[in-house]
Amino acid sequence: MNDSHRIRRVLAWPVRLPRRIRELEAAVDENRQLNRRIAELTDIVAELLVPATQRDEERLAELLERYRKDSLAP
Amino acid sequence: MSPARVTDTHVVVPPSLRGTVVVSFDGGYVWSFTVPRDGRVTFGRGGVSRRVEWPAMLLTRLSGTTQVRLEHGATTLYDAPVSFRGESAPLELLDRHGHPLAVDGAGHLTRVFSETTDDTRRQVAEGAGRVLADLRDLGYDAHLSYGCLLGAVRDGRMIGHDSDADLAYLSSHTTPADVIRESYQMERALRRRGWRVIRMSGADLKVLLRLDDGRVVHVDVFGAFHVGETFYQLGGRSGRLPREALTPAGTVRLEGVELSAPAHPEAVLAFLYGEAWRTPDPAFQNHDAPEGLRRLDGWLRGVRTDMVAWNELYRDRRHEVPRGPSSFAQWTDALLPDGAGIAELGSGTGRDAAWFARSGRPVRAYDFSGAAVRQTRRRLGADGVDSSSAAALALNDRRSVLVTGAELARSDLPMNLYARGLVGCLDDEALDHLCLLASMVLRRGTSLFLEFPATGTAVPAEPAALHRRMDPDQVAAAITARGGTIDRLEIGAGLDFLDRPDPRVARIVAHWTTLEHR
Repeated sequence: MNDSHRIRRVLAWPVRLPRRIRELEAAVDENRQLNRRIAELTDIVAELLVPATQRDEERLAELLERYRKDSLAP
Repeated sequence: MSPARVTDTHVVVPPSLRGTVVVSFDGGYVWSFTVPRDGRVTFGRGGVSRRVEWPAMLLTRLSGTTQVRLEHGATTLYDAPVSFRGESAPLELLDRHGHPLAVDGAGHLTRVFSETTDDTRRQVAEGAGRVLADLRDLGYDAHLSYGCLLGAVRDGRMIGHDSDADLAYLSSHTTPADVIRESYQMERALRRRGWRVIRMSGADLKVLLRLDDGRVVHVDVFGAFHVGETFYQLGGRSGRLPREALTPAGTVRLEGVELSAPAHPEAVLAFLYGEAWRTPDPAFQNHDAPEGLRRLDGWLRGVRTDMVAWNELYRDRRHEVPRGPSSFAQWTDALLPDGAGIAELGSGTGRDAAWFARSGRPVRAYDFSGAAVRQTRRRLGADGVDSSSAAALALNDRRSVLVTGAELARSDLPMNLYARGLVGCLDDEALDHLCLLASMVLRRGTSLFLEFPATGTAVPAEPAALHRRMDPDQVAAAITARGGTIDRLEIGAGLDFLDRPDPRVARIVAHWTTLEHR
C-alpha cells in the first residue's frame, strides 16, 4: 500500500465511520433477537417435543390443546 | 408575559413557568404536564408564550363545556368555563360505567386512582396482593414496584394519577433467553390459577383484575434481571442496582393492605424515579437510558408490533370493513372442490371465514389481534361454527407458528391456507414464518392462497392503514425458499382491505410437495 492510498483511507475514515456504526448496531441487534428465538424454540421443545417422544397420540393432542390455551391465548 | 389560555387544541402558559401544571375539569383531575419539557415557545400578537398540546387520547373527547382549571402548585393559572368545539352541552369525560376518566402517566385515557373511592383503591391493592401471593407461592421473587411502591412508601396510598397496579419480580437468570423462558412458564402458571393474562413482551405480563364495579384494572408484572453488572427492569429501566436492594423481600402497606416489597424500597425508588422520588410530581416522565432501551427492545420485543393499532381498528372502525365476502374469497372458492377446508390467516372481522363456513366449508380462522379473534368468533358463532375454530396466531412468535402448524397438519381434514391482505402487514421474519407454517400444513395436496397490494410504478404508497405494498417476486421467493411451488401469480386491478379500488393487487397460489413424494 503506497502512502497516497494510505492517506486516502485515513481521510475517508471519518466519512465511513457513521455508516460502519449503523452496520455494527444492526448486527448487534440481530444477535440480541436470537434470545427470543432461543426461548421460543426451547419452550416448544421442552413443553411439546420432549413429551412427543413418548409416542402417546392422545397425550400429544391434549398437550397441544393445553399449550394453546395456557401459552397462546389472545 | 402572556396569561394562561385554553383552546380546542392546546393550552397556553407563561413561557417562564417551570414545573408541573395540573389540569382539572369541573374540579376533577384530568391531566398534568411539565414545562418546559412538554411545551414549545410560540411568538404571537400576545407576545411570547408556551404552548402545550392536549394529549391525543384526550383531544378526541374534547367536545362540550366544562370549568377548566390550571394549577401550578398553590397558584391558579386559569379557572374559567370553556366550550370545546363551540358545544354548549356539558363535557362528560366518563367511561362506559359512568366513572370519570383522566390521562395516566402512560398517556392513556383511563380511570385513575384519584377519581376512585377508598373501597376501590383497597380492592385494587387486595387484588395486587393476590397476584403477588400467587407469584411468590409459585417461587417467583415478586414485590410491589413503580407507582404502587412509591405511593406505599410515601404515604401508604395509591398515587392519584396512576391507573394500574405495578409488580416486579427479580429473576435469578442472567441471560435474556432464560428470562423470557421463565416468563413463558410464569404466564402458564398464572393462567392455570385462573388469572386472565396478556403478554406485553418477553418479560412483562398484564394480569387482568375485575373490580366489584365492573371495571377491569391491570396488574403489571415486570421482569427484572441482571446481565453482567447492569440491572434491567421492564418497562425500560437500566443501570446499577445490587440484588441486595431487592431481595430478600420485606413488606409495605398500601391502602391498608400488607404487600411484599423490595428489601430496600428507598434504594429501588431512587433507581426507578431518581433521587427526588419523595417529592410528588404527577407529570413525572422518566427518561430511560437509550442504550438500555435498545438492549431490552432487541432481547424482548417484536411480537406485538402494531398490535394496539390493529386492536383499535377492529374495536373502533370495524364498521368500515364490508360485511359480505371479498372478491378474493369468491375467486378462491371457485378454485377449490366442494367441501375443501380453509384456514384463514389474518381473519380480521371474520367476513371471509364466515362466508366460507356458510358455503359449507370446514373453517379455521386465526388473527394476532385479540379484538379480531373475538369478532371472528362472534361471526362464526352466528353461523353455528364452534368458537374454538378461531384462535390467536402471532407470526413473529415461533411458538404460535409451530403450534398452529401442528394443529392444522394433524386436523382430520386437509386444510388450505387463505390470507387476504396479510402479507403486507408482515416483516421478513413473519413472512418466512408464514411460509414455514404453509410447509407444515400443505403436505396433503392442499394449497396456499394469498392476495396483497403489490408494489409497482404509479401506485399509491399505502393502500390502507397498517398495510404496505409488497413485491410479488419477494413473496414468491420466500415461498420457494421454504420448499413451495408457485402455481399462479397474477397482478392486476383489485380491491384493498376496505374494498376500495386498488390499481395493483397480486394473487398467488402455491403448493408444497406431499412428504411421501420427496
